[in-house]
Order: sequence, then structure tokens, then C-alpha cells
Amino acid sequence: MAKVSIIIATRNRCSLLPRAVASARAASNDAQIVVVDDASEDQTPEVCGALIDIKSIRLERRLGVGAARNVGLIASDSPYITFLDDDDLRLPGSLDAQVELLESRPDAGMVYGSALFGDDEGHANGNSYPAQFPQGDIFWELLRWNLVPCPTVVFRRACLTRLGLLEEEASGIEDWDLWVRIAESYSVIATERAVAVWRQSTPVSGQFTSHEEKLHRLARRLHREKWLHLPRAIAAGAARRRKVSRAFAAHASQQLVWAAASRFKAGRIFESAQVALAGTRMYPLSVSKSILTLSTLRSLKRGLETYWRAERI
Amino acid sequence: MSKISLIIPTFNRPHLLPRAVESARHAGSDVEVIVVDDASSDNTASVCAALRNIKYLRLDHNQGVAGARNVGLLESSGDFIAFLDDDDLRLPGSLDHQVSLLAAHPEAGFVAGGVLLADQNCVPTGEVAVPRGQSGDLFWKVLELDLHLIPGAIVVRKECFLEIGIFNRRLAGIDDWDMWTRIAEVRPVLVDPTPVCIYRVASPGSGQGSSAFGRHMHTAVKHQTRLFSLPRAQAASSTQRRAVRQRTRRRVADTLSWRAAEELPHGAFRFAASNFLIALRLNPFWAARPTHFRVLWRTLRQLIARHKDGGIHSRPVR
Repeated sequence: MAKVSIIIATRNRCSLLPRAVASARAASNDAQIVVVDDASEDQTPEVCGALIDIKSIRLERRLGVGAARNVGLIASDSPYITFLDDDDLRLPGSLDAQVELLESRPDAGMVYGSALFGDDEGHANGNSYPAQFPQGDIFWELLRWNLVPCPTVVFRRACLTRLGLLEEEASGIEDWDLWVRIAESYSVIATERAVAVWRQSTPVSGQFTSHEEKLHRLARRLHREKWLHLPRAIAAGAARRRKVSRAFAAHASQQLVWAAASRFKAGRIFESAQVALAGTRMYPLSVSKSILTLSTLRSLKRGLETYWRAERI
Repeated sequence: MSKISLIIPTFNRPHLLPRAVESARHAGSDVEVIVVDDASSDNTASVCAALRNIKYLRLDHNQGVAGARNVGLLESSGDFIAFLDDDDLRLPGSLDHQVSLLAAHPEAGFVAGGVLLADQNCVPTGEVAVPRGQSGDLFWKVLELDLHLIPGAIVVRKECFLEIGIFNRRLAGIDDWDMWTRIAEVRPVLVDPTPVCIYRVASPGSGQGSSAFGRHMHTAVKHQTRLFSLPRAQAASSTQRRAVRQRTRRRVADTLSWRAAEELPHGAFRFAASNFLIALRLNPFWAARPTHFRVLWRTLRQLIARHKDGGIHSRPVR
């Protein structure tokens, strides 16, 4: 039995998949690689067939990332688990080091590290996430925002048998939901070392906007209806819960304003207005406040200039 | 003989659980018994500690039956998976028998067996419920709720979960039906009339999950529209889908009205009323047809007559 299972859920990205699998192989000397093909319609089955030393599973019906990862979990059998997306990369040797850390700390449920942002070719562009690495009990930090990049996490299989599998209804943020649940019962280790390359998603169409808005809505719902009802949150009292709710709203609205502003700068006025409107609907007070701050106004001006210039040409 | 993993989700039933585990041990030659304790608040943990040769998993927070079954799947190592509720029993040798059937038909996804119905003390009443149908492609029959499938009487190939995913935690009470439908869509199903388990039939007062019968049926009818998005249902004509929908509504309305009439003489007024109201909502014209009112009226009259006599003994009314 391998020490760590790397679960790669993939759909219609057969050109990127071999790169992710190769990086996973280089990341550990003793890993089981499980590729779950979420009913791809391209050449993914042939590509998987050509890859050696992997456990390849093909779903007959399209289920989504969360459910595909759950299937990968059931097919895997190692005591440590990590998820890798088909467009992300694991850095060489990074997994073994993280597994060693976990083995030396039996009280810890998971370990995370730093993720480098990369372009489409997988080259790091110099930025990384997160900026700070809180350790130990990070339950309340995780209730503010998702500071844990999914491809950098290694967690114990035992966490799942105590807490249950991924929540499929939390489609898109099921990883965040799992980190919250793990952090509620276990302590968490962090390494500042970069362990993965995260492909930065480039917003290309209006569809992305609605997806982003959906994720924000889902996070807000989970935060209110599930995370704040976890036994630890209940035990901490109403004041603490209110405080963390405010921090959560502040962070989410900041992100929404930033998303709107960056679109505006790029001259995509309509999309930006959509994001701003969605944000105002979700967090009326904090979003409208941020929109009115000076920096935002400045970026508004710049955006309008770009737009007019584009119009004139 | 291949290894079989039998998953028993349990919640606050330490007095029934050892019996279920014991029956599971005699049901096959190489059985891995996995007990998933869905965060019981009583002494289930100590009862399980006394049971030998089981894999005991305990969840921190209650996940519901579907969530517990999924965790059992995660820890299972057999090629075949069977489920058993903590209050039901497996018959001796039944797992080996069903696995041999599956081994003979490598393309089949799961095998459904017969069920001995039992009272609250798990004593068989003599009634046997056998899935009505022939082995083969049973997708439409399962989708129509025409095939009564009880999880305890089914053995599934583990590969099936790797093809169509795991139980949906949101569908409390009907997660198993959703699973069998999705499997039946991609694989043939084996039906075998041999009884394989003893099923404790729920009654309104028994506090079993299945006493929420009406609500589950309602959820099932609502969820069916989502199952229509499965490729095979999409490929069928809209006329066929409409016909399936109509037959399902009728069947469910009939079942609920019948259950209402059956429970009424036992004094379960609230249960009967809620079931009949759901039937009315699902299919007003079918549930409110004269026959049903005649049955209800007759039942009520008997009840009143009995009340006048001072007798309270129940008698099943059909």
C-alpha cells in the first residue's frame, strides 16, 4: 500500500492531464495516483490508458468535481490523501516532506503550504498564496476566508471516517467545507515552502461572472446555515459568531469589489456592473461602502478612460 | 469466494445492533462487517467495543444514513458491497448465494432478493415481499418506483460506485432508490426471489425512519424529475417520460391512500391524514376518486362502531 494517494479529478482537459500526473509522480516516492475521469467527451480515456502506474477510473455519468473526488477517495487506500486539479502542478519532492510532517504530529489532521500562481504553461509568475500561514487551531481563521489552497493540502484518511466525505452540494467550495470541518476537530500544520503551482483562472466570458457570484452565494449560505452551527461555533457564543460573520462579510465584499474593479480596469464595463450589483445585493452595507472609497473611484476613472480609448479606436 | 463488505449504519439502537451483526456473520463465508456509528448519543460505542471482528467507525456529527453508508464505502475492501439496517437481519448463507449470482453475470450491477416481512420484534409474519420483475434492464421499472427495493436485500458490485458515484446525502430516506436507479441506468439488474433478509416493517409509532413514509414518497416524486436528466431518460420520447410520471404519481397516490386506510383503524389519525393529504397533493383526481372515499368511509364507520362497543382491538382493513 502506498503512503499517500493523489486524487486527480479531470474533465475534458486531456492535453493538460499528463503534465499534472507527471508532477504528481515526481512529488513523492511512494504515491498512488488516482485519476477520476468525470465522463469526459474528448480523448481523456485514451490519454489515461496510455499513462502507466496510475489507477484510472472513468465515471459513466458527469457528476461534478466534488462527487468525482469522492469516487476517487473510495477507490484509494492510502492513509494520507491529497487532491490535485488537472491543470495544477505539484512541486518535486513536496509531498514526501508534508507527509513526514504529518507523521511526526499525530494530533494534526492536515498540513498545507504555499501555492505559486502560474500561467497556462505552468510557469510560476512570482505571486503566491496565502500571505500568512496560521498554524494550530485555525478554525476561526477558516470561517473568515479560505486561506488554504486546495492543491497544497495533505490530510489523513482518518479525518474522513470521523467527519464524513466531501459535501457534494457545496459544489465549487467543497474543499473549503472539508477544511472547516477538519480544523474544528484537529490542529493544522502549515509550511511556508511552496508545494504546488496553481493555474490562475483567467476570466474570459460573462459565464465566469455568474459562476463567481454563485460561489459567493454558496459560501454565504454554508457559512450561515452550516459552519456557524458546528458544535464549536455554537459553544463559542453569539458574540464570537457575530464577529466572525462580520469578518467573513468584509472579506467577501472586498473580493467582490476587487473583482468588479479589475474588470472595470480591463474595460469590461457591463461585467463589472454585474459583479458590483451582485455584491451589493449580497452585502449591501460593506460593498457600497467600499465602492465609495477613494481607491475604487480612482480605478473607476482609469477604467472609464480605457473604455473610451477603446471606443475611439 | 470473493470478499464481501457488509455496511451497517447505526444510530441509537445498541439493543438491536448485536443481533444484526451476528446475522451478518453467518450470511457469508468471507464477510467484512463494517459498523458506522452515526454519532449515536447512547452506549452504542461500548456495545460495539464488545463485538469482535468488526470494523467500527464513529462519526463526530450525525450525517444521516446516506453519509454513514458513504463512510462505510470508504473503508470497505471487498469487491461486493451489501447494506444492512441495524434493525434488520440477514439470513444464513444469503450473501454467498447472491454473490454467486453476481459472479455468474459479470455485467449485472446488483442483485435484489426477496424479503421476509417481520413485526416489531423481528419475528417473521409469514409475508414475503419479492421484487416483481425479471432480471435484465430494469431502469424504467426502478425509475417508476414499480420495483420495491429494500437495501438489506441487495448486493452491489463495488465497481458500480466507481462508475456513477456515491449516495446523495441530501435525499434523506430515498438516497438508496436514487442509487439503484442510477445503477440500473448503466447496468442490467438481477432479480432473485430467494428470501435473503428479515425486514422489520415500520409502523407510525415505531419511531423508525420509515415512519416518515409519506414525506419520503413526496421527495421521491419530486426527485424523479431530476432523474429524468439521466441520458437514457433524455433519449426517450417526452411522451414516454410523461407516461412514467403519470404512472408514478398514480402508484404513489394509491400506496399512500392505502397506507392511510390501513393505519386508520390502529388509531394513527395524524399519520393517515398526512399520508392522504400528500396523496391528494400529488394526484388530486386519482387520490380523490370514489373508491378511495368509500374505503375511507367504511374504515371510519367501523372505527366508530368499535368505539361504541368499547373494543379497541385492531383489525387490518383492506
